[in-house]
Amino acid sequence: MPDVARLIGPQDRRARSHPAVLLLAPAVAVLLLMTVAPAIYLLWSSLFRFNLLASEAGVFVGLGNYVDILGSTDFVRHFGITLLFVVTSVSLELAIGLVVAVLLARKGPDLRIAAGLLILPMAITPVVAALVWRALLNPNYGWIDYYLQTLGLIEEPVAWLSAPVTAWIALLALDAWQWMPFVALILLAGLQGLPTEPLEAAAVDGAGRLSMFRFITLPMMRPFIVIAVLLRTVDAFKTFGTVQVLTNGGPGDATEIVNLSIYRVALQNFQVGTAAAMGILFLVVVTIVIQQLLRVMARNTDVLED
Amino acid sequence: MTRPKTAPQRGAPWRTKAGSLLGAALLIVAACAPTGVGPATAPASVAPQSSSGSAPSEAAKPASLNMLYAAGEADVDAIKLAIPDFEAATGIKINLDSQPYTALQQKVFAELAAKSSFYDIIVIDTPWMPALTKQIEPLSGYIGDPAVSDAKQLAIDDFIPKVFYDTAVYNRDQSQLEYSGSPDKVDVAAIKSAGFEIYGLPIQANALTLTYRKDLFESPAEQAAFKAKYGRDLAVPTTWDEFTDVASFFTRPSDRLYGTTLMAGTGDWATDDFKTLLAGFGGNGKMVDGEFKRVFNSPEGIAALTYYSDLINKHKVTPPGVTSFSWDEAGSTYASGLTAMSMNYHNAKLNEGLAGATAYATIPAGVGVGPHFGTWMLSVNSFSANKPWAYRAIEWFTSSAVQTKMLATQLHPSRRSVYEAAKTDPAVASFGNYYDILGKSLAVGVGRPRLTNYGEVDQIIWTAVNNVATGAATPADALRDADAKVLEALKKVPYPAN
Repeated sequence: MPDVARLIGPQDRRARSHPAVLLLAPAVAVLLLMTVAPAIYLLWSSLFRFNLLASEAGVFVGLGNYVDILGSTDFVRHFGITLLFVVTSVSLELAIGLVVAVLLARKGPDLRIAAGLLILPMAITPVVAALVWRALLNPNYGWIDYYLQTLGLIEEPVAWLSAPVTAWIALLALDAWQWMPFVALILLAGLQGLPTEPLEAAAVDGAGRLSMFRFITLPMMRPFIVIAVLLRTVDAFKTFGTVQVLTNGGPGDATEIVNLSIYRVALQNFQVGTAAAMGILFLVVVTIVIQQLLRVMARNTDVLED
Repeated sequence: MTRPKTAPQRGAPWRTKAGSLLGAALLIVAACAPTGVGPATAPASVAPQSSSGSAPSEAAKPASLNMLYAAGEADVDAIKLAIPDFEAATGIKINLDSQPYTALQQKVFAELAAKSSFYDIIVIDTPWMPALTKQIEPLSGYIGDPAVSDAKQLAIDDFIPKVFYDTAVYNRDQSQLEYSGSPDKVDVAAIKSAGFEIYGLPIQANALTLTYRKDLFESPAEQAAFKAKYGRDLAVPTTWDEFTDVASFFTRPSDRLYGTTLMAGTGDWATDDFKTLLAGFGGNGKMVDGEFKRVFNSPEGIAALTYYSDLINKHKVTPPGVTSFSWDEAGSTYASGLTAMSMNYHNAKLNEGLAGATAYATIPAGVGVGPHFGTWMLSVNSFSANKPWAYRAIEWFTSSAVQTKMLATQLHPSRRSVYEAAKTDPAVASFGNYYDILGKSLAVGVGRPRLTNYGEVDQIIWTAVNNVATGAATPADALRDADAKVLEALKKVPYPAN
């Protein structure tokens, strides 16, 4: 009998795998059509120099577009600006989000309302949020300078969007205002699901609140922190509308993130080959960053399985 | 909390792939959009109209025409006002699709790149045209055909020649060339024989004008105070030196009043401010000449940019935040009564409840003069199936009678007769002397250089202007840097620049 089983085993397995292939087929087809094929086309386009409107075909330039881009100090600087934006905004949102989550984790009806209100900024279209912020930040009739002056914090109105440092503060504040709640909610969910036994045991052993948070809560929260960071990082790399409306890359090009450059090259100058190459380079960097984060996530989510 | 043990363990390949795919999807959206945008209409099989004429009047009359138009930038309300009359006169319905500037530009280019026949009539802004000579229908064949064109309605001589040539007349294969054969009169035969074509009919002519608070300039107290300080009468500035004095005089931050707005934020508007001053200080306001020489990195360019920066940083006659202002914010700042003067593409109105009056003047002159101007035109999509009817429609919309009617909801006319009519038209009394000044500004205005990559050049220049305005760079350094970048951009096209 064991021999028979060994004989029919593989067939059986093959038979069982057919429905799986069938069930996967639509998803694979959609992915191929919507993601893989355009990605290959993007790669192909990046090897040509062509204008969308020219009737003649593009000129094959091989890696010429890549050489041009990597040789451009502007592009490299805009890349640095993008990375700086992603790292700063995600760190800021994580730090504030953690504090807010800890505050909200104490239960109570008032806090439930606060948690509800927290979601509101996320529901606002980024472009609309940026337009409103632009008006709020107007040094002549915006609320922000008005109240800062009323409170005596500043003497003269601050032209937020006119200097690199203040423009960055405005941009990061807008991003944190809109997306910190997202981080806070993920962390809040994590906090509420934590087992209480380790904390109780630590309390019995005489641990202080701070050391309990540092040595018990925080390590247990690691998987949630990693997930929040991962999702926010992916999202932060995509930031476009808020920057375009709030600063349009200014002052000068102090806030010119790569997405804005790609947009200008592709959709205002219609140099599709160059834009495709910029996109591919950006893709490589984003993929490396995301892979590292996924590796960290895989390591940390093991905690959940123990 | 726990996951089934059968789930993929650390380093599972699907995770990294998912990451890559996520990234790919994100970028494809960013980089590939234009190819897939726009109505999925099949390319029209109609060949571009030949000038010898294939009896376009025989084309069947369509039930409707689709028109793509701008929003506030080209005063869409004026078009809306005229549409019912057109529908009543012809029985053809106009489906108007109006979009704000950046969305419109993308739409126009995507439609034309996809050879879409969906829009029959498309509004074109001057800086786009050099790249579009092969997609926009040449009109000389229609203009000469009595079966399609009503010469009286067209009255082509009536268009302001300068506006007409700058906006609509191009050489198909060398779009950088400018026609200069018959500067005082629109002459279709001369245009054709010089190898040029007509690509549309101008509808909205924007130019920079000087807006000022009439009530302040006419106040006896202000006049006396000005005379005491400067030893001459307070008057609307006609030179840039006077402009500095008058702007300084009215700058009183404690009373929430400043001399003037500027459009120094990052965007096309900062370039327009600069090219206006460049011409004023004796340079060529086109910035890049017909031989692709960059003429902005010059003593005149440095003087112009120094003057601009001094208004903001030395004389401090502008309200806080001016270095992030667009034309829109410059307008709303003047409207809220914060400045005594303003320079903009449109007329201005003080906010309701504010006492005061507004009047207009031409931009001050220096060694030279040349306020920026740029005109929108109505063009026929060469892929449209209804080209003769689309031509008839644009001829009708840009006609003298229709433009005159459109004045009531504001239109910046492209015809001499409409400026004449505006002088006595009671419907435009509320605009004060705006039309008079706009007409005079157009007469001395300087347009943009004809470059297929003007968008790129524009961005390089506005970044330089903004950097100087915020004090991040000196005029000489900023212009030298911009000069090198513009040269590189021109070579990439490729234009024979050196």
